[in-house]
Amino acid sequence: MSLPAGQSLGVLILLTAGSAFAQIDLGGEWAATFHEDLQHRGGVRLGDYTGLPLNESGWRKAQSWDESARSTFERQCIPHVVTYAMRGPANIRFSKIVDPVSGELQAYSLLGSYGRPRTIWMDGREHPSPLAPHTWAGFSTGHWERNMLVVETTHIKTGWLLRNGAPTSDLATMTEYYTRYGNYLMLASFVNDPVYLDEPLIRTSNFVLSLTTNADAWGNCGPAQIIDELGGRPKGWVPHYLPGQTAHIQEFLTKSDVPAEAARGGAATTYPEYIVKLEKNDLDNRIFPPPAPGKMFPRIVSPQTTEANISATQGEIQVLPVQGNVYLLAGGGANMAVQVGEDGVLLIDTGDGKATDKVIAAIRKLSNKPIRFIVDTSANPDHMGGNERLAALGKAPGGGRASDSGGPGAMVFAQEAVLAQVSAPSGQKAVLPVGAWPTESYPDWKELSLNNEAIQIFHVPAAHTDGDSLVFFRRSDVIVTGDIFGTNTYPLIEKGGSINGVIDGLNRIIEITIPKDWQEGGTMVIPGHGRICDEADVVEYRDMVTIIRDRIRDAIRKGMTLDQVKAARPTLEYDSRYGSDSGPWTTSMFIDAVYRSLAGK
Amino acid sequence: MSMRIAAAVLLMLVLSAPVTPQAPAAAQRPPQPPKSPKETAPIDLTGNWVSVVTEDWRWRMLIPKKGDYTSVPLSAEGRKLADMWDPSMLASDGCKAYGAAALMRVPGRLQIAWENDATLRIDTDAGQQTRRLYFDKSQKPRTERTWQGASAAEWDRITQPGGLGVSLQQGQGKPGALKVVTTNLRAGYLRKNGVPYSDDTTMTEYFDRLSAYGTDWLTVFTIVEDPHYLNQPFITSTHFKREPDRLKWMPTPCEAGTSSR
Repeated sequence: MSLPAGQSLGVLILLTAGSAFAQIDLGGEWAATFHEDLQHRGGVRLGDYTGLPLNESGWRKAQSWDESARSTFERQCIPHVVTYAMRGPANIRFSKIVDPVSGELQAYSLLGSYGRPRTIWMDGREHPSPLAPHTWAGFSTGHWERNMLVVETTHIKTGWLLRNGAPTSDLATMTEYYTRYGNYLMLASFVNDPVYLDEPLIRTSNFVLSLTTNADAWGNCGPAQIIDELGGRPKGWVPHYLPGQTAHIQEFLTKSDVPAEAARGGAATTYPEYIVKLEKNDLDNRIFPPPAPGKMFPRIVSPQTTEANISATQGEIQVLPVQGNVYLLAGGGANMAVQVGEDGVLLIDTGDGKATDKVIAAIRKLSNKPIRFIVDTSANPDHMGGNERLAALGKAPGGGRASDSGGPGAMVFAQEAVLAQVSAPSGQKAVLPVGAWPTESYPDWKELSLNNEAIQIFHVPAAHTDGDSLVFFRRSDVIVTGDIFGTNTYPLIEKGGSINGVIDGLNRIIEITIPKDWQEGGTMVIPGHGRICDEADVVEYRDMVTIIRDRIRDAIRKGMTLDQVKAARPTLEYDSRYGSDSGPWTTSMFIDAVYRSLAGK
Repeated sequence: MSMRIAAAVLLMLVLSAPVTPQAPAAAQRPPQPPKSPKETAPIDLTGNWVSVVTEDWRWRMLIPKKGDYTSVPLSAEGRKLADMWDPSMLASDGCKAYGAAALMRVPGRLQIAWENDATLRIDTDAGQQTRRLYFDKSQKPRTERTWQGASAAEWDRITQPGGLGVSLQQGQGKPGALKVVTTNLRAGYLRKNGVPYSDDTTMTEYFDRLSAYGTDWLTVFTIVEDPHYLNQPFITSTHFKREPDRLKWMPTPCEAGTSSR
C-alpha cells in the first residue's frame, strides 16, 4: 500500500519536526531599512557622537581618533566589528545550521553587514575561557524567549560604535533581540562596555525580507590586498590627535545646530529632560571641552582582565590550545607557553613557582616526554620562579645539561642580561639559586629546533627590561612575547627598560605576525599576561603605548614638569582598562617611567 | 503497508486527536467565559517608561532645520509640503507633531495602564496626549479624526499556515507582541519641522518587552503608511527604559503657543 503524496508529506513533517519547528523562522535575506539614524550608519561626521552614552574615557578616545589610521598597513583589512556591523549600512542573511544526522538546529549563521560571518550557537554550549582569542564577530550563543531570538556575544575585539572613532573596548559584550513582525525583522542591540560607556547603548535596527539581496558578497581582504596608502610614513606610525587638537571635530559644530556638550555624547544627553537644557539655550558653546582635571579612573575589573589570572593562580592552571603544537598555561604567575611533540617538551617561562606542582601536572596531561628546553623571556620572578624544579625535572637532548657536566635537566636559555641579573660571582649571594639560572645565554638571538619545528629567539634591547626575548614558533606560527606585551596593564618598564624600547618591541612583534585575512588569526600571540591575541590586538596595544608616549614627549617639549604631565592625564582613556592606583605597577609609576625615559632623567 | 508507514499514520492520528472539537473531556466541562485581553496578555506592558534617545538624536532632541527630512521617504507631494513649513509656524503648530504617527518618537515619558479589561491606555508627558488601544473588536470604531486616531489592538501570535502536521505542533502559536493598527488620524507632522502625514495614514505598531543588563525595556516597531506624502512605508523602532515611578514626569501641553518640546 502506498500513501497519497499529501499524506506522505504530512507523515514526513511529523516524523522530522524537531526543535527547529519550535522556533520562528528567521532564515533568508534581510535588507536594512534606513529610516532612522541614517547619518550614523555610513560616513558619519567626525565630532558627531550625539546619542551615544560615551563616558569621559570614551569621549577622549574618540577625540584623539585620526581617520588616517584606517589606511595604515595594519588596519586596511579590518572589517566592521560586531558592535557596529549590525548597525552598519548593509544587509544580512540568516541561515540554519542543522545537524545532518539528528536534524536538530545547532546554530544560526549570520552573514553580511560588512562584518565577519557570525555563528550563533543554539546547542547550549558555554562561552570560551576569558583567555581565549577575541575576534571581530565575537563568540555568540542564542536561545529563544517567546517570539524573540536572544543572542549573547562576548570575546569581541577592541572596536567602535560609529565609524568616527567612538570606541568600544575588548571588555564590551553585546545582547541582541531579533524579533520578526511579519516580513519585517527588528533587532534590538545592547552594547555594554564598562570602559567607554556610561551605561549600555541600545539601538534598534530594522530589516525587511528581501528576495533580491545578496548579503555575503564582499569578497576577501588579506595581506595580499594591503598596499601602501600613506606613502612616506615611517613603519609603526600611529596617526592620532594630541589633546587640545580639535579642529577636526569642530567642523561638525559649525555645520550643525548641535552644542558641543551634546555632540560629545554622554548618557545624560539621551534623556528627555536634556531638552530643557537645550531649550534654555545656555549650551551655545562651540568648543569641545578639555578633559576635566581629576583623579584617574578606577580600573575595570572583569573576568576578561586580571581576575582570570588571579583566580587561576588560586585554583587550577588553565591550559588553552593556541595553534599547532603550542599551548598556553595560565594561572601560575606570568603566562607560560608549552610546545609538545615527539622530541619532548619546550617551555617558555616557568611562572612564579607557587603552583609548580600544578604546572607539572598540566604539562603531563599534554605530554609524557621530558622537558628538553626552557626559555626565560626576562628575569622577572613571576616568569622564572619555577625554573629550578622544572629544569631539574627535564632532560636535555643528548642526555645532559650542557653546562653542568652532563647531569640530567633541561637546558635553560635566556638573554645574557637575565643571567647577569639572577646570578652572582662565587662567594656572593645571588637573586636565585644556581639551579634556577639559565644554562645558556645569548646576546642578540638564538635558534632552536624541536619537534620538527624551528624556533627563533630575538632579544629586544632596553624594552620592558634590558634582557627581554621574543620567541617565535615558525611552524605553529605562534609568538611568545614575555612582558613586552600584555593585555592587562600598562607595560612594566624597569631594570634598564625604556618606553621606546617597548614600542620597538611591539613593532617587532607586528613585523613578525601575519594575519590570515580580515586582520584576524594567522600568527597567534601569547602575551606575558592576559589572553591569547593576534596581530590586531598587538596593534591596539602598540597604538595605546605610542599615543601615550607621544603625549608625554609633546608635554616635555613644551617644558612641562612631571607633576604637570600627570595633572594633564595623558593616559586618561586607557586608565580604566590598563591602569591601577595600587599594587606593584601603578599608572603613576608608568607615567614616571615614560617621562624619565624620554627626558633622559 | 509497511510497519513504518502504519506507525506514522497512527502517530498522525494520535496527534490529531486533541484538536478535534468533539473531544469527550471538553464536552463534559461547563463552558468557560472567554478570558479578557488583560488576562491573556503574554507580556506586561504596564508601568512607567522613558524614551532613551540614542538614535536620530538631532531630529528628535532638536527641532530640525526647514527642509531637513533626512531618512523620511517623502513623496514629491510630501516634500513640497515640508518645504512650505517655516520656523515661524512653530508657535501655531500646536499638537501637530504629537499625533499617534509621531508620538512615540517624541522624547518623553509614558505611563501605560489597563483602563479596563479590554483597553490599554498610554499617557505621555510630552504633549500630554492619551492613546487608547482597544482590544474589543465588537465596538464600532470612531469615525472622527483625532490626533491619536482609533487604535485596534490584539495580542499577536506567531502561527504557521495551517498545513498538515505543522499546525498541530504550533497549537495556538507562539505568544508574540502587542499589535496595534491605528486609523482615523488627523493630519499631522512626523517631525516638528513640518514633515507631513495625511489623514489617510494608517499606522501599524508592535509593542514588545525585553530586558538586558538588568534593565527592562519596551520597544515599539512602527510602520507608517501614507498614500499621499510617503512613497514607501516609513519604518522606525523606538525604545523606552522602565522607570520605577513618575518622579520625573514632566507634563508639557502641546496646544498652540504652549511649548516647542
